[in-house]
Amino acid sequence: MEVMETSTNSPCLAALTCVLGDLSQADGSASFTHGNTSVLAATYGPCEVRMSKEILDQATVEVVCKPRVGLPNCADKYRERHIRDLFQATILVNLHPRSSVMIVLQERQDDGGLLATSINAACLALLDAGVSMKFLVAAVTALIDKDGNINLVPEEKPSDVEASASLTIVFNEKDLQVMGVTSSGKFSQEQYDRSVSLCRKATEHVFKFYRESMERKLSKSV
Amino acid sequence: MAGVELLSDQGFRIDGRRPHELRKIECRLGVFRQADGSAYIEQGNTKVLAAVYGPHEVRGGRGKALHDKVVVNCQYSMATFSTGERKRRPRGDRKSQEMTMHLQQTFDATILTTLYPRSQIDIFVEVLQADGGNYCASVNAATLALIDAGIPLKDYVCASSAGFVRDTALVDMNHLEESSGGTELIIATLPKSQQIVFLEMNSRLHEDNLSAVMDRAVAGCTDVYNVLDTAVRDHVGETAAAIGGDAA
Amino acid sequence: MADEVRTAQPKEFYRKYLEQGVRPDNRELGEFRPTVLDIGSKNGSCISTAEGSALIRLGNTIVICGIKGELAEPKTETPTEGYLVPNVELSAVCSPQFRPGPPSEQAQVLSQFVANVLKNSQCVELEDLCIAPGKMVWVLYADLICLDYDGNVADACVLALTAALSNTSLPVVRVDEETGKTETDFKEEKKIQLTCTPISATSAIFEDNVLLVDPTRQEEELSTGLVTVVTDGKNICSLEKPGGSPLKDQQMRLCIERAFQRHTEACNLITQSQGSTLSTLTSPLVDR
Repeated sequence: MEVMETSTNSPCLAALTCVLGDLSQADGSASFTHGNTSVLAATYGPCEVRMSKEILDQATVEVVCKPRVGLPNCADKYRERHIRDLFQATILVNLHPRSSVMIVLQERQDDGGLLATSINAACLALLDAGVSMKFLVAAVTALIDKDGNINLVPEEKPSDVEASASLTIVFNEKDLQVMGVTSSGKFSQEQYDRSVSLCRKATEHVFKFYRESMERKLSKSV
Repeated sequence: MAGVELLSDQGFRIDGRRPHELRKIECRLGVFRQADGSAYIEQGNTKVLAAVYGPHEVRGGRGKALHDKVVVNCQYSMATFSTGERKRRPRGDRKSQEMTMHLQQTFDATILTTLYPRSQIDIFVEVLQADGGNYCASVNAATLALIDAGIPLKDYVCASSAGFVRDTALVDMNHLEESSGGTELIIATLPKSQQIVFLEMNSRLHEDNLSAVMDRAVAGCTDVYNVLDTAVRDHVGETAAAIGGDAA
Repeated sequence: MADEVRTAQPKEFYRKYLEQGVRPDNRELGEFRPTVLDIGSKNGSCISTAEGSALIRLGNTIVICGIKGELAEPKTETPTEGYLVPNVELSAVCSPQFRPGPPSEQAQVLSQFVANVLKNSQCVELEDLCIAPGKMVWVLYADLICLDYDGNVADACVLALTAALSNTSLPVVRVDEETGKTETDFKEEKKIQLTCTPISATSAIFEDNVLLVDPTRQEEELSTGLVTVVTDGKNICSLEKPGGSPLKDQQMRLCIERAFQRHTEACNLITQSQGSTLSTLTSPLVDR
């Protein structure tokens, strides 16, 4: 499969780049970069499922998050659970009962917003593999600084630590409703509401970017 | 016995008990919903919880199943905050593994195992606070939990310990008495038939004194039995009243 | 009859109840199960071998928390900060669905959640745990053991932890500047000061539209998603919605509102429990 790169610059987000189908053995793969954070996602399936994880009327979504170095820790498990629950609700699991959809996420570089980047990479990889989904999902991380300003673009030397709080919000494409939220740090209800509306706007760019990437891929392969 | 005086000249022990006195026992059956049987026991400052699941199909490979009797699976675990020093591993260390084995042997000998061939009964014991007599409290709690689960037993199993200080046998040793390095004899009996199902002794003891210490420990078991039996009868009474109340 | 329907057709069973705006256990949608709390103190109840402890019963869910202190050297990057290490154990005791063995994924996720709550809320100032900068600090191990699992362990864990921390006293330790020897004064004790009290409230989403607060195990199994909101009374310390059904903004607002309500309730409960002197650990275990 020919590999190509798509990238975009949108006004409110850092640069998005993606390469679809760069792994030859996986059923679908995508490497997704947002700013300086990059994740490689591979999906396998629907295929055979381990007996203990089998669900009678649904496919089992399995997610593995691999850290850049070392063994997976509690934080990686936490991300795995989040992403698994998200895609269990997103993939049309009833189409493939008693089978497994596996998503493997390899962290390449983490410069803040790893969860959001992982989710977007996983979604693109599923698209690449042609797994049927109810809708697309996209995640954006909002950083709330000490003065209460909300920022979607990690600035010069960015990290979640410097901001007073950060929120990662996942939206679906169908009606742009909140699919998932994770937060760190303290924030008020009003800040949450503002973050949601900002992130909602920003995800539209991500969805547009998904579309462009797929169009590029499909038009070239023909 | 350097430092602490385990038995005063007046015949009192460190915590003010007489040599033949047990620590205060408080117990309760049916404390959990999820388990098939459960019990909580306090013997002085030792606090132990036990939960029983089963009889159910054999888990973890069919190879473990026995064709003529039930598999009794025990797990002894101590909460990390149960001891003075924080415990690094709640289970899996040698002491806990030994304790698990002892419990398994004790209950293998007491449960009517032949009634449930190719099945398994789980007994999980969690020590929340340890102040001596952990094995005894675990056995007593597990007995209550098994009774709560309605699993047929030959008899109650009651456990107690005894030590020997200044020519006197002391029943139901607490942590301080246990760790002073003297003799400790741990015994589990079936009180009605006066049979011993488990017996362990460490440190040295003159042969002549053995029977005195054993008698004290067995007497302790009988005392424990009386307390447990009252608790069981109370519990059954309460439950019956509750069921009767619902029906009315 | 009701029991059979409940087992055979659990969804239908719940739907019938929820149409009337009540739940099978007579609760309203936004109502927590009765909560009983026993906070340990040095003179008696709960766990006296621990520096602080609490036992909580949320309906049928029971969680115990014990806090143990140890001395350690601080990290070189943070010479004045102690450590606070939470750990959640879903032991084989609490439910037939957990097998003995290494911590399950769910237990690890819960541990991480509790660690996040502590970090985000900063309810314990890590600098308060410093004894001698660069040389010695306290490590507080907060071990949470679930004893009976009937859903919503996350909320029970957070409440047990907050309650236990609010009543944790550490002996005063002095380090000799020259010899480097430590001296522990067990008679003199210092209470840990909490800067805030994080309290969490979890809601389960049923059939994409009904929000059930404080779900039982069956409600958790039937739900199509969970939302957990942790507040300290003023701000939100953590907002977790790991996937599941999409949620409208006003539904999310409802969850946040409920979390603030729960905060007031739970804070009252902690204050009350601290005042009362329960004689034995059995008290929360008894009442059913």
